[in-house]
Amino acid sequence: MSGALFMVSLRQAASPKRLAVIVVFALVPLGTAIAISALADGEDMVNSVLDPLVIATFLPITVMTIATTAFGNEVEDRTLGLLTMKPVSRLSIVLAKLGATLLVTAPLAVLVAIVVTVLGSDDQNVGSAAVAAGVAAAMGAAAYGSIFTWAGLMNARALGFGLVYVLLWEALLVTFVEGLRYLSVRSYIIGVMHGIEESAFSELADRSIELPAALAGAILATVIFAYLTVRRLQTMDVP
Amino acid sequence: MTTFASPTIQVNAVSKWYGNVVAVNDVTFDVHPGISGILGPNGAGKTTLLHMIAGLAAPSEGEVRVLGEPSRGNPELYRRIGVMAEHDALYPFMTGREFVTFAARLQGVQNSNAVDEAIRAVDLVEAQGRRIGGYSRGMRQRVRMAASLVHDPEVLILDEPLNGTDPRQRLHFGEMVQQFAASGKTVLISSHILEEMEALAERILLMVSSKLAASGDYRAIREKLDERPFMVRVVASKQRDLAAALVGNPAVESISLADGAIDVQTGNIGEFQSVVARLAQEVGSRLYRVEPLDDSLESVFTYVVQR
Repeated sequence: MSGALFMVSLRQAASPKRLAVIVVFALVPLGTAIAISALADGEDMVNSVLDPLVIATFLPITVMTIATTAFGNEVEDRTLGLLTMKPVSRLSIVLAKLGATLLVTAPLAVLVAIVVTVLGSDDQNVGSAAVAAGVAAAMGAAAYGSIFTWAGLMNARALGFGLVYVLLWEALLVTFVEGLRYLSVRSYIIGVMHGIEESAFSELADRSIELPAALAGAILATVIFAYLTVRRLQTMDVP
Repeated sequence: MTTFASPTIQVNAVSKWYGNVVAVNDVTFDVHPGISGILGPNGAGKTTLLHMIAGLAAPSEGEVRVLGEPSRGNPELYRRIGVMAEHDALYPFMTGREFVTFAARLQGVQNSNAVDEAIRAVDLVEAQGRRIGGYSRGMRQRVRMAASLVHDPEVLILDEPLNGTDPRQRLHFGEMVQQFAASGKTVLISSHILEEMEALAERILLMVSSKLAASGDYRAIREKLDERPFMVRVVASKQRDLAAALVGNPAVESISLADGAIDVQTGNIGEFQSVVARLAQEVGSRLYRVEPLDDSLESVFTYVVQR
């Protein structure tokens, strides 16, 4: 990965405007979790906040906001040629973009997942639950990052595609069609969380997949979509 | 131009189409060291052709080679070529110096003076610390030029590089490109303005309607262009007297009165200019305007193609 390219990608991804947007996104699940924790003692935090607001909404939409612009803005501003007309491998370009996206989004995703988990856990297994939530959120951010980075290069309307994907596929179809869980990043996150810390996330058992399948799925999604992005860069006509 | 040297750019039976639209149609030519220009009106296919030469787009048919290697899917080739695209592709959040340094790093340039030299070459020393977002059009052109030159390429591909530059900058740019080419390197430059090419290029490739219409020495093509019939509009007092005096003159092929002016077709624009001045004086007519009606590149190129 080119250091210069990574730093420029990071400056693009971490613009004050974008950071402000994803911090506002983060305040929704955090605020809800804090309110529930303070006001509704004994409320099921996993089912009321962690799954619907963090895993199914905040995490994919935050990553989508940054990842779709990683190449999307380069295409729109016609600066992609500045990168592709250099003696730098296409893999290096994709890794720089993906790395910058993850550096901006993953820490926030992990932090939100951990805080919500801690607020909803009992004292007995809070440490392992936090670790499970953090690992799962990081893997989910990587998988979503790879998918949405590819989408940003493929389509000028990647944000629209991302919203349909998140709301229709990940939130709706996967919930009702059990077999689709093996093709769902949301299910990979739940599977990793539940697989690492079963008792703390027992509420997720009915929608979880096996830990090995979840780990393999998250890693495969990350690798496959990164590869597709590299291929797209190699074969596309750069505007 | 070193015509005996092996070609640095080879374009062989190249076509490019997007759906039903043909952008470049069966174009073949070689480019040798020195300055060559692709000249043509907007929409002629110049940029698409340069994109294929630069490896940014794949030909639908045919082959492009630069320095003996395929230009498409060959990132290592970019160590040896510099490309300045037509559009204003820049990162506005960077300073000029950061942008050139970024290009140098991606090119793997080790020489720390290269960035200074490139910035100095484009006369951007004073503005190098300012953000590109605040640059004028001419400054943005120059910083892109510096980024294209910073790795000292063997081949320089420039798409409409003089857009937005003022006359002083054009002069400076011309000197810079000529100096670059004088060291045995290759410059391929595109423009839709005849006069820009006259000042720069030793060899012209004329693109019209997706095809290569003509190629060769600039002067030969220019002479051919000058032979074409011109439509000239003359606005003067005593129009009817002047029109009557012009009728029958060998420099005038046809004449008509319209919209308070005289429209004249001439086969020799130079001679007509002196004739109309002399005849106006003889009939006591005052000339207000003598202007070409069809000096657009499209009309010029259409004429060349039809011949």
